Amino acid sequence: MYKFIKVSLCVLLLASTTACSKGEKNDFDPMETFGCDVLNVYNTGEYIGENTLSLFEETYNVKVNYSLFASNEMMYTKLMDNSQYDVLVPSDYMIERLISEEFLQPIDKDVITNMGAITPSIMNKDYDPGNVYSVPYFYGNVGIIYNTNNIDAADVEELGFNVFLEEKYKGQAYMYDSERDSFMVAFKALGYSMNTEDEAEIQAAYEWLLQVDENIEPAYVTDEVIDSIINEERDLAVVYSGDAAYMTSENENLAYYLPEGGTNLWFDAMVIPANAGCPSLANEFINFMLSYDVALDNSAYVGYTSSVEEVAQFLMSSEGDYFENNAYDARVDYEFDEVFVHNEVLKQKLADLWIKVKSK
Amino acid sequence: MKSFARLAYPYMFWISIFIVLPMLMIVFYAFSTQGNDVLTLQFTLDNFKRFFSDPIFPMVLYRSLKIAFMTTIICLAIGYPCAYLIAQMKEKDQTMMILLITLPMWINMLVRTYAWRGILMSTDLSSEIKVLIGMVYNFLPFMIIQIYTSLAKMDKSLLFAAHDLGANKIKTFLRITLPLSIPGVIAGITLVFLPAVSSFFIPILLGGGEYVLIGNLIENYFVASGDWNFGSAISLIMAVLIMASMFLTKKLDYGNKEG
Amino acid sequence: MMLNIKNYFKELNLKHKLFSKSYIIGTLLFFYLPIVYVVMFSFNESKSLTKFTGFSLKWYDKMLNDSTMLDAIYYTVVIAVIATIVSTIVGTIAAIGLSKSKKIVKELVLQVNNLPMMNPEIVTAIGLMLFFTSFSIKTGFMTLLLSHIAFCIPYVMLSVMPRLRQLDPNLAEAALDLGATPWQALTKVIVPLITPGIIAGALIAFTMSFDDFVISFFTTGPGVTNISIYVYTMYKRINPSINALSTLIIVVITIVLILVNAIPILKEKGRKKNVQIY
Repeated sequence: MYKFIKVSLCVLLLASTTACSKGEKNDFDPMETFGCDVLNVYNTGEYIGENTLSLFEETYNVKVNYSLFASNEMMYTKLMDNSQYDVLVPSDYMIERLISEEFLQPIDKDVITNMGAITPSIMNKDYDPGNVYSVPYFYGNVGIIYNTNNIDAADVEELGFNVFLEEKYKGQAYMYDSERDSFMVAFKALGYSMNTEDEAEIQAAYEWLLQVDENIEPAYVTDEVIDSIINEERDLAVVYSGDAAYMTSENENLAYYLPEGGTNLWFDAMVIPANAGCPSLANEFINFMLSYDVALDNSAYVGYTSSVEEVAQFLMSSEGDYFENNAYDARVDYEFDEVFVHNEVLKQKLADLWIKVKSK
Repeated sequence: MKSFARLAYPYMFWISIFIVLPMLMIVFYAFSTQGNDVLTLQFTLDNFKRFFSDPIFPMVLYRSLKIAFMTTIICLAIGYPCAYLIAQMKEKDQTMMILLITLPMWINMLVRTYAWRGILMSTDLSSEIKVLIGMVYNFLPFMIIQIYTSLAKMDKSLLFAAHDLGANKIKTFLRITLPLSIPGVIAGITLVFLPAVSSFFIPILLGGGEYVLIGNLIENYFVASGDWNFGSAISLIMAVLIMASMFLTKKLDYGNKEG
Repeated sequence: MMLNIKNYFKELNLKHKLFSKSYIIGTLLFFYLPIVYVVMFSFNESKSLTKFTGFSLKWYDKMLNDSTMLDAIYYTVVIAVIATIVSTIVGTIAAIGLSKSKKIVKELVLQVNNLPMMNPEIVTAIGLMLFFTSFSIKTGFMTLLLSHIAFCIPYVMLSVMPRLRQLDPNLAEAALDLGATPWQALTKVIVPLITPGIIAGALIAFTMSFDDFVISFFTTGPGVTNISIYVYTMYKRINPSINALSTLIIVVITIVLILVNAIPILKEKGRKKNVQIY
């Protein structure tokens, strides 16, 4: 049945050349080396190079079961059914949570020899000191993207996130539809820590968001923002750096700015669950992802900043896809930037407040 | 004939496992505090108090019921004539028409809704209208199929008889066609109203995020904030409310039949 | 009497033809407007889903090179077909049984039946996931299939019940009195009369299964992904390869529909030819 569908797809559209041809088999025996020949990877959708998985399958003669999730929280909920995955790619605060709940096993640094290729400044962060459990995959910031034709660059640079309070930009802006990101913007606009537990500061941030809602009537969006800003439907938004890198490369009127008051610095990293069925192959996979060619293919396709230093530098060089693209060049060691800390109580408080902001 | 009743027994077993049991878990969560661990369950009414203490939650529920109600009415208004006309066609054309109406639904809902986003993008409609268009588009086929089913292969001799007895067309429709189609209409209303109340992706994509409905609330509490207790409580409140109204509809239906 | 009927039809046809045609066409336009849009953007050159920049086939190429997506198509079709068949059979049998049950039993079961339709999918999804977890059932293809069958059956029953209610309750008894076995009464008398309801139920079940994301996401296991999971997890990186896939689905279904309609005609022609030859 599977073959039938695949064949009929190929027949229907002869546009493809590789889908119908099966890769050559080599002699490598994964059972002998790893004790298993199936790897279960769990990652966000469209977050891996086009040929990465097939290349890994061919090199090691294994089958990769690739599963997808839409958000860290969805992945976490899904993990409760005790499914066995070998490699996950969650974000910093989620890794912190998984470590504290003993969901993960330490990575094998003897196998992951490419670890040294990673940009040193993104290693050893608070979510996983010493990188015992995680290997960085992509990283970046959250910044402001704006259309230089309709938004005054001086306003953005002077006001930072407070530009969202400017009444003259009414109806021109998007806010990110997640309590995490929107409250981060509010906290940073007010000069607080984004991990604050101070009731007065939380209240102030809530009022800041209400003020934004009143002053500029933003649309609350997530994924649609990319298309809409490129098409110049609206002119101002908060976006992830990797998306901004793509957006600025698609429309030259767009500019990207990181507020001086600081913003969110985030990491997505590869981890191995404690119940993984095939940890040795998982370590091998992580090492494979860090090799130069694979990481290059991966980052060039996805558009997010590679954790492999040479790859990121190449992509930003005059030969690379992201030459003079300030969004790809993530800001790491800035004193006001922060990484999210896992805090269940705060999260629920913000979730309640966020619904109130949106329902107003 | 009662022997046929036994055919339902396996299904009763099935629903007690796949519907009742999961629902019981939701009830447990709704009446307990903190944590998703079954062992540490503690009885509480806090989740319900929380829902009713903040006007925002009942407001969202009211808004969801309102838009689901509007969706249902519009689907009925557009769907009934459509189903009626299809039922008048030649039998082969009927099948074709039903398939033509079902076919767009085999395109992923997100893809279809994205298309609507693109189409409605340049219009000045309010978020509420946009969400309504998306909802009607998504649920209308269900209404048409259900009503059509009750009208299809209707005993035509009844119509002729009515005509012979001097009834005009409107009278024939009101006295014969309409009452016969009532079960289909009820099924259609059920099939549109129930999912519409808790619809989730359409308000997100077409409402510009500021149009929060109860489905978004529940999803948000279950997944984004991991607060299963409150999420369960919200869905329980919603379920009770809707079941009560369904019960009333059923009552009306039976009243109709007996009257 | 015969004349009367003919006149009745003529009158009906003439007066309403124009109106009904335009009404049906209008409804179809509404249904197909977004579909045209989807097809159009499958040929878009850029990644945008809202701005057309030029013609290209690259999204088709991308789709066919994406083994995760091809796997997703396979699982979606297989699950939808099996779930539809099973839930249609089970749902029909249960509905027939229920229609002969005591009123209170019937009402209770039908109310419970409505629960999965009424609750947001996430509630059913988490419920099922907890259920599988607490019985240590490993999630994967089987749990996904079971879940799909579970949420499809209520739709089938909802479609079959109205048809059963229209049925003359004495029909089956009459058949039994005339010497039919219960099985014959069921298959020869009841089922043919409720066929439109069964077909409607099957259609809706197939649609629900084909389009389901939330329940599928939480009840599937490693490596088993359907089209909906694939689409929804693209998250902010949605691109026209999804439109390419949708276009392909439309093309395949259209071909199937044409074949289904053409085969009887061709057979007829063949028969006529045969007749002529002899």
